[in-house]
Amino acid sequence: MERTRLMAYDDLRAFLAELDKNGQLLSISEEVTAEPDLAAAANAVSRVEGSPALYFDNVQGFRDAKIALNVHGSWPNHALALGLPPDTLVREQVEEFARRWENFPVPPVRRVSPPWAENTRTGDEVNIFDVLPVFRLNDGDSGFFLDKAAVVSRDPTDPGNFGKQNVGIYRLEVKGPRRLGLQPAPMHDIAIHLQRAEESHEDLPIAIAVGNDPAITLAAATPMAYDQSEYELAGALRGEPAPIATAPLTGLDVPWGSEVVLEGVVEGRKRELEGPFGEFTGHYSGGRKMPVVRVDRISYRTNPIYESLYLGMPWTELDYLIGPATCVQLYQQLKADFPEVQAVNAMYTHGLLAIISTKTRYGGFAKAVGMRAMTTPHGLGYCKMVIVVDAEVDPFDLPRVMWAMSTKVNAAADLVNLPNLSVLHLDPSSEPAGISNKLIIDATTPVPPDRRGRFEQAVHDLPETGDWVRRLQAVRKGKP
Amino acid sequence: MTCPRCDHSTIAVMATSPVPDVWELLRCARCGYAWRTTEPARRTTRAAYPKVFQLTQADIDAAVEVPVVPEQ
Repeated sequence: MERTRLMAYDDLRAFLAELDKNGQLLSISEEVTAEPDLAAAANAVSRVEGSPALYFDNVQGFRDAKIALNVHGSWPNHALALGLPPDTLVREQVEEFARRWENFPVPPVRRVSPPWAENTRTGDEVNIFDVLPVFRLNDGDSGFFLDKAAVVSRDPTDPGNFGKQNVGIYRLEVKGPRRLGLQPAPMHDIAIHLQRAEESHEDLPIAIAVGNDPAITLAAATPMAYDQSEYELAGALRGEPAPIATAPLTGLDVPWGSEVVLEGVVEGRKRELEGPFGEFTGHYSGGRKMPVVRVDRISYRTNPIYESLYLGMPWTELDYLIGPATCVQLYQQLKADFPEVQAVNAMYTHGLLAIISTKTRYGGFAKAVGMRAMTTPHGLGYCKMVIVVDAEVDPFDLPRVMWAMSTKVNAAADLVNLPNLSVLHLDPSSEPAGISNKLIIDATTPVPPDRRGRFEQAVHDLPETGDWVRRLQAVRKGKP
Repeated sequence: MTCPRCDHSTIAVMATSPVPDVWELLRCARCGYAWRTTEPARRTTRAAYPKVFQLTQADIDAAVEVPVVPEQ
């Protein structure tokens, strides 16, 4: 694999061109309806070979609508987003993501004349519907949502701290021409910013960047530590500084290459019914009273491309977008305390379930690793179940994980049921919402002083097997 | 016409199609449910709207705050 190949895209358009060059962009030129066609196509594409990105430019009732969906929604697309060959194996993509993370932080580069500065509307002239062709995804959704935008905010008690400036993807319900609902889960960074603003009875300035280069979106989807900058991760992922620009109204840092930038405030101490919305859990969120955004300025390219994603029953684009990022972040945080950790597979429902392989220094060690996963920043809202396996078990090889579970686990001593811990409100099994027991399944081989079971006579691959794999592969390819 | 989700009778026009007279985006003044007039009946009519997604005033009143507003 060409691990050194790197290609940095400065905007969504450059990446769409690269997807197209690799046969991973499907343009639909015949007229479609906004509903149900756009969401149904994006729902369907995960069942189509290669699961390409979709591009629509002929939507009923619109004049100039351009809509990109499923941009990150396959392993080939995810590989191309990282500048890797499209046939890169999943585990290799995760490892490459982790390797580039080691170059973090890569400071961004500030550029002038962003293309989104071409058109501007302010105050009551702002009309989101004139600029973004929003559409419904699932039947029970309460309306139309922006679900792939990078939302930028700063810590109001430390506004000069670039690292504490957060760039995250939070769903936004379009409630009017310049009014949005916002979902900040309490464990997410923007909720910390909002809480600090609300404690001072202030509004929280925010910028919302729609249609971005793929590295910004990957970084925004990565659960980073509170004081780590997503722009500095984007730079590490793309192998060169991420281009940013100053948003004119709020002074927030936004991607230079965005299609559309909205600016305004989260109105302090206000909550209003939002949702339901079909979520990544494969269930609707329910309706909750959530914060409200007032948009005071919109800046946009002429004929912008509206980038969105379909989500619902996994796997959807969202799982590709957040899967590897979640694995790597959890791996980095665990590795800092426990160098024995080998790999983390947290690709299932954003890490509500995680599989960790680790060496075990002494009896009880694997359970400690499982508990630490639950106390990482991401684990506080996820990691409801953690399966810990031996270092020799590849957590991405699910048949091997099932083997470990089926043979190593004795419920008498290998299950740790922790009561009443925090989990994200969207977990449909939490009761009350946001509270759940959490479970560690220790599927490692017990080591002293935890002497249990009869594991000393394990069957291993024959020493000659490796040679035979190569011989058989050569015969199959017709090379003796 | 009433809101497909909560049966409220005050409905506002949120937007109209750039090509005239193709569709409107409507929004319920009580529960905030929004729809495009060209969507299937299961999303646009009270009669066909799935029971599992229907809302009452009591449901709206009982919705929890996320995140909770900090104490004064």
